[in-house]
Amino acid sequence: MTREAAGFREFRTAAAALGVCVGYYVGAHFGFLLRFPPMTPSVMWPPNAILTTALLLAPPRHWWIYLFAALPAHLAAELGAGWPTSLVLILFVTNCSEALFAACGVRWLSDAPRRFDTLRRVVVFIIAAVIVAPFLSSFLDAAAVAAVQREPYWSVWQTRLFSNALTELTIVPALVIAATRGSAWPRPMSLARTVEAACLGALLLIAGIAVFTGSAESGTLSGPMGTPFAVVLPFMLWAAVRFGPGGASSALLTTALLSIWGATHGRGPLGTLPIAEGVLPLQIFLITIAIPLMCLAALIEERRRADDTLGERLRFKQILSNLSASFVNLPGHSMDGAFEIWLRRLGEFLRIDHVLLFEFDGEGKELVVASTWADPEVRHRFEDSGEAPTQGEPWHQLVLFSPPAEPPLEPVRDPGSRAGLDIRSSFTIPLEAGGEALGALWLGKLTAERTWSNELVQRLRLVAGIFASALARRKADNALRTSEGMKSAILASLPSRVAVLDREGRIIAVNESWIRRPSEEATWDARLGVGANYVATCRHLASAAVPLAQVALAGVERVLDGSRASFALEYACGDPVADRWFAMSVVPLNRHQGGAVISHTDVTERKRAEIDAERSRRDLAHFTRRTTIGELAASLAHELNQPLTGILTNAEAAERFLHVTRLDRDELHSIMGDVIQDAKRAGDVIKRLRDFLGKGEPEAMPLDLNALIQGVTKLVSSDAVIRNVTVTLDLDPNLPLVTGDSVQLQQVVLNLMLNAMEAIGEGECAAHRLVVRTDCPDTEKVRVAVEDSGPGLRDDSQEQIFEPFFTTKREGMGMGLSIARSIIEAHGGVIGATNNAGGGAIFHFILPLVGAPAA
Amino acid sequence: MTESQPTVFVVDDDLSVRRGLERLLRLAGYRVETFTSAREFLARVAPDGPSCLVLDVRMPEQSGFDLHAALAARGRPLPVIFITGHGDIPMAVRAMKAGAVDFLTKPFDVEALFHAVRQALARAP
Repeated sequence: MTREAAGFREFRTAAAALGVCVGYYVGAHFGFLLRFPPMTPSVMWPPNAILTTALLLAPPRHWWIYLFAALPAHLAAELGAGWPTSLVLILFVTNCSEALFAACGVRWLSDAPRRFDTLRRVVVFIIAAVIVAPFLSSFLDAAAVAAVQREPYWSVWQTRLFSNALTELTIVPALVIAATRGSAWPRPMSLARTVEAACLGALLLIAGIAVFTGSAESGTLSGPMGTPFAVVLPFMLWAAVRFGPGGASSALLTTALLSIWGATHGRGPLGTLPIAEGVLPLQIFLITIAIPLMCLAALIEERRRADDTLGERLRFKQILSNLSASFVNLPGHSMDGAFEIWLRRLGEFLRIDHVLLFEFDGEGKELVVASTWADPEVRHRFEDSGEAPTQGEPWHQLVLFSPPAEPPLEPVRDPGSRAGLDIRSSFTIPLEAGGEALGALWLGKLTAERTWSNELVQRLRLVAGIFASALARRKADNALRTSEGMKSAILASLPSRVAVLDREGRIIAVNESWIRRPSEEATWDARLGVGANYVATCRHLASAAVPLAQVALAGVERVLDGSRASFALEYACGDPVADRWFAMSVVPLNRHQGGAVISHTDVTERKRAEIDAERSRRDLAHFTRRTTIGELAASLAHELNQPLTGILTNAEAAERFLHVTRLDRDELHSIMGDVIQDAKRAGDVIKRLRDFLGKGEPEAMPLDLNALIQGVTKLVSSDAVIRNVTVTLDLDPNLPLVTGDSVQLQQVVLNLMLNAMEAIGEGECAAHRLVVRTDCPDTEKVRVAVEDSGPGLRDDSQEQIFEPFFTTKREGMGMGLSIARSIIEAHGGVIGATNNAGGGAIFHFILPLVGAPAA
Repeated sequence: MTESQPTVFVVDDDLSVRRGLERLLRLAGYRVETFTSAREFLARVAPDGPSCLVLDVRMPEQSGFDLHAALAARGRPLPVIFITGHGDIPMAVRAMKAGAVDFLTKPFDVEALFHAVRQALARAP
């Protein structure tokens, strides 16, 4: 395309040069028609104006082409007039100098040399092209003509000045506006405006012809040209007001041509005067009308443009707010359509023909077209000629930057032409959000040039910001979808049943396992699917007194309202073959809309293992209790023999008492009371024994450890007597209750006390003292300590004494302390042993007040 | 109570055993004094006239054997009948060797006790 574009540009320049050549030649001949020999200068001389137009339109580096192109036309036209070659050449130089003065002056002074839409631009044009250029060039021209043709210098100078000034004034704006508007083709004026322009042109022509080419009447010259111009002036004002400087210029040209034609042909209001005398006032008159008229047109145009700008600004704001509103809540996957719509609206608003949205690809290396819009007409035209930009184009050249781009990048004006592409005008804005280059917005006008004002650039930055944040969000959405896809694949592969709840407790997603759940494992939520309200169902079941549903409901509601960080529940399910166990877990869903994730995991295997272990532990504990009782046999015999002896002796006494003649009923009562007391005592011993040996299911209940210790002390009291050990209880009277299994904890206390007594027997200390203490080390725990006056623990055995089969006794199995430890741990407590500073050992265990129930 | 009535001292830490024995022996016509521990007995008793001691072996602090030995050490031997809730042969042998009149295992036959008491009082000075 680059080479073709360059060729096309050269062709266009060559065509323009040819146009200048032809125009110059035709203009020169037209000028000759308005020449009145013996005067060499013409009344109007279009060639200079044509050359000025060409120089204004062309870039200065091409000026020489047009100057050269004019030379043959000049020679052809003027040598034919029979003038000497030297004069012809000098006149070419003066004509060129006039055009150069005008073009240079306008270019130097005007901010937009090709436009006549502000007062400043029109004034600059009038000063540079209408006054200064003819003024200066006319000196040389007049000198040459005066020298060669022997004509009066000032007369020539004056004729040429006014004729050229008039020509510049009337022709250049019309031609320049026509040329620049022509390049803006094919946007024609609206029909109404076209009709208005046609009417105006026709009426002006009719009026002009009627006034200026009618028969000359000497009487009409009162107030030299007042009447005829009074007829034409409204039309000229109409043109200026409604069609701006271009209209004013065209109307002026028409009026000038008609009036000059009339004057030079002896018609119209000046027809009665000699030509040389009539033309000059006409020229001056036309110029003096034209200048204010042009200024008026420019002022009006300026005002209109300001209004337009204001309106456009408002419309742009409207567009911007609509654009931002339509993207703000748009999900990533719906953005393609929105991009297309907004590229079109943007293109139409800016009156450009191509808008492209580029995005960096996944790796951020290539710019790819994310969306595109082209003016349908332009697209068709290019498609027909095969020149339309397509997605295969070297877009990197077009936007002039490529990754890795370091934002922020500045917008680039006309990068296409910089890249050597044949794009008349384009503009690129980088898109970046959060310091990351996301892509670019490319605006192009392939058919005509346009400027990109700073104000427009500022606006486009705003548009670019919205597009950039939309692209960023789409990118984030895509990333999220990818990661969500991965997450749902992970969820699907889980054996646990997983359901996701929204804030209201509705199920919004479930995994495969949830759907595939075997029907026989019916729990309260087994048949709920997506859309069902989990919380409502739980509430319904809870009101129907399904116990698990009540617990689960409380847990799920707490997690949903944020008052609990998580919730866990283990439950058994009835099954024809065997119980199955499940762990339910509820955790909050980590997103701002809230919600929770519920999972049910089959933990039957673990639970069975736990139950088996617990059963073994219980069996072992029971076994060791029986062993302990065996050890206590002698003591127990003593314990039973005491009440039995009491009963026997009292009963014998009673029996003998009955033989006494005087019956003392009170004494008999007292004896019977003692008998009953002893029988109860014996019964208590048996009961304690049975309780202790019992193999009932463990049950957790509130326990008074002090009472428990007192009971165990009774159990061992005979043993203590036999062993000659003094048992002291130092019990905290304010000891709170603990939760636990009475039989198991009795076993622990008994074990520790028996161990202690045995140790005391081994010790050398004469005191034979055993102390059992209870206290609360803090508000959440109770402690039981058993202190003996034995030999204490060997340092190396402290770690091992709670291990199974570790024993220091000759006859011990080494199970007692290990069982004690497993019982205390099952109660959520700890057990330990230390040596007492004063001699002996201290065994203690600590139980939590809010203890786990005994397993 | 007359001077001629022999006295039976009972030392046992168990209240109901003490009370039963007291009633029984009193009905049999003895003067009975009971003590809960060896120490109490040693502190209060200065036996005067015929008397014997029914003594529990297993008691907190000082056992029956200890008391027996203490009395012997004071040179005031008293005929002693040991009673015990948990007796075995070595213990019985030990008691007899120390000079006990009898060694009865709880719960004992009342007639056996009376027999032992009579024997003891017969031995008493």
